[in-house]
Amino acid sequence: MANDKSGMQLVVNGILSENPIFRLALSMCPAVGISTTVMNGLMLGIAVLFVQVFSSVTISIFKNVIHPRIRIPTYTLTIATWVTVIDLVLAALLPDAYAKMGIFVKLIVAFAIITMRLEMFACKESVKDSFWDGLGMGLGFMVGMVVIGFVRELLGSGAILGYDVLGFKPLLFFILPSAGFFVVGLMMAFFNWIELYYKRSKG
Amino acid sequence: MKDIITIIIRLTVSCLLAATVIGVTFIFTSNAKKHNEHAKEQQVILELLGYRGDVTVPDSISMHEIYRYIISGQDSQSIGYLVPAGHGEDGGFFFVNIDLNGKLIESKIVDMSEVDSRETEIRDTVMAEAAGPGHVVDFADQTIVVTESGSRIAYLLGGKFQGFKTFINVMLAVDPGFSMVGLEILEHEEDPGLGAEIEQDYFKNQFKGKPFEVLKTIDVVKKPIPAEYLDALNSRLSDEDILEIRNRYRDQDIYALTGATISSKAVSNGVKNIVKKFAYRVTILDNVLQEQQLAVSF
Repeated sequence: MANDKSGMQLVVNGILSENPIFRLALSMCPAVGISTTVMNGLMLGIAVLFVQVFSSVTISIFKNVIHPRIRIPTYTLTIATWVTVIDLVLAALLPDAYAKMGIFVKLIVAFAIITMRLEMFACKESVKDSFWDGLGMGLGFMVGMVVIGFVRELLGSGAILGYDVLGFKPLLFFILPSAGFFVVGLMMAFFNWIELYYKRSKG
Repeated sequence: MKDIITIIIRLTVSCLLAATVIGVTFIFTSNAKKHNEHAKEQQVILELLGYRGDVTVPDSISMHEIYRYIISGQDSQSIGYLVPAGHGEDGGFFFVNIDLNGKLIESKIVDMSEVDSRETEIRDTVMAEAAGPGHVVDFADQTIVVTESGSRIAYLLGGKFQGFKTFINVMLAVDPGFSMVGLEILEHEEDPGLGAEIEQDYFKNQFKGKPFEVLKTIDVVKKPIPAEYLDALNSRLSDEDILEIRNRYRDQDIYALTGATISSKAVSNGVKNIVKKFAYRVTILDNVLQEQQLAVSF
């Protein structure tokens, strides 16, 4: 299966038409559990971006020597390696950011979206395309997390990025994990609506 | 059969590759990580003692770490302390073994430098040797005694207790009369916007200046914080006003966080227990040290 999209198209594809959270509905657990503030969403998004790009490129480089029967263990091993490396590097270089992100970074090993992209894309395509696809997926996840975080932080704590903008807390409920589902659901509806609208206007 | 062998070989090679990558990264980053953790700890300690920002700490202030272990033998349990001995950097440590009734079992000097004492593994080995064969030693906690020109000005206590979700890890400072000097939340996983507010100044600072008598029975009240107290807690007033308001609310219980009574209660109970237990232990330790005329560094 050759890929006929350019690098830029792959990136846009990851952010919009195949957005991991809103379109593929993957990695819902972190999307719901962690996206309580914009900062949390952004931090996790950045970490996922790096892991996704590194893992996609690694698998794409080694795609010909990976035995098809043991591809899943190999993916997991690759992801775990990169997560550990990023965890160690962050702890050494950016201790302040690590204090906030540390607990999330280790969770990335179990993210469905990364394994899924390795299986669907990186193990078939060239290194260059895998890089762009990983970048797109990572950015898509990050955008999704930030958007959900924005809604939840604004409605739950009345703040954005920790700055009090409303002066009161409209609905404390939005901070709780269950509200994450509501926000994700509404966002999905919104993204579907955009797609429908786009298709119709095209004819 | 051939398939199985290639699978095994390839998996092994991938594992080895992964291990190499992780290992190399670890070697390059471990020192920096340790350094960061130590620096962070030092910063928390200084902030608890009231040195915020770029204030340099006077030379007359020094810190002495005491490590507490639980020593279990076949049918007995006792508490083992490692107490820094004498003055200077490498005076070694006293190993002080106290039974559960507060009577000294044995005390001797062990050879360990201050730098070595920070390494958990070295310290554990030294402790196990000192306790003798047939005894199991378990690390319990560590306390830092802060002295200014030889007299004690504060104790720094670490502690961990159950919060609403998982453990809350705190460090707190008390003065020699066990009144609260400050509280810092090091690690927690409470809900953002709810329990996570425990790390905000307006909650933490409520503990500041509470006398031991109040701490012993401290509880939470489910009432909104009065406006003037809130301003004082958030340091929005002048220093004198803050002190004055703090004194007025000194005997007051802790105002619980909205929507996070359990987290608030967990912290106030946790702090209460840490301080109460420490006050009991340090009195026993001091008695023993005095009776035995051990020349410790604080």
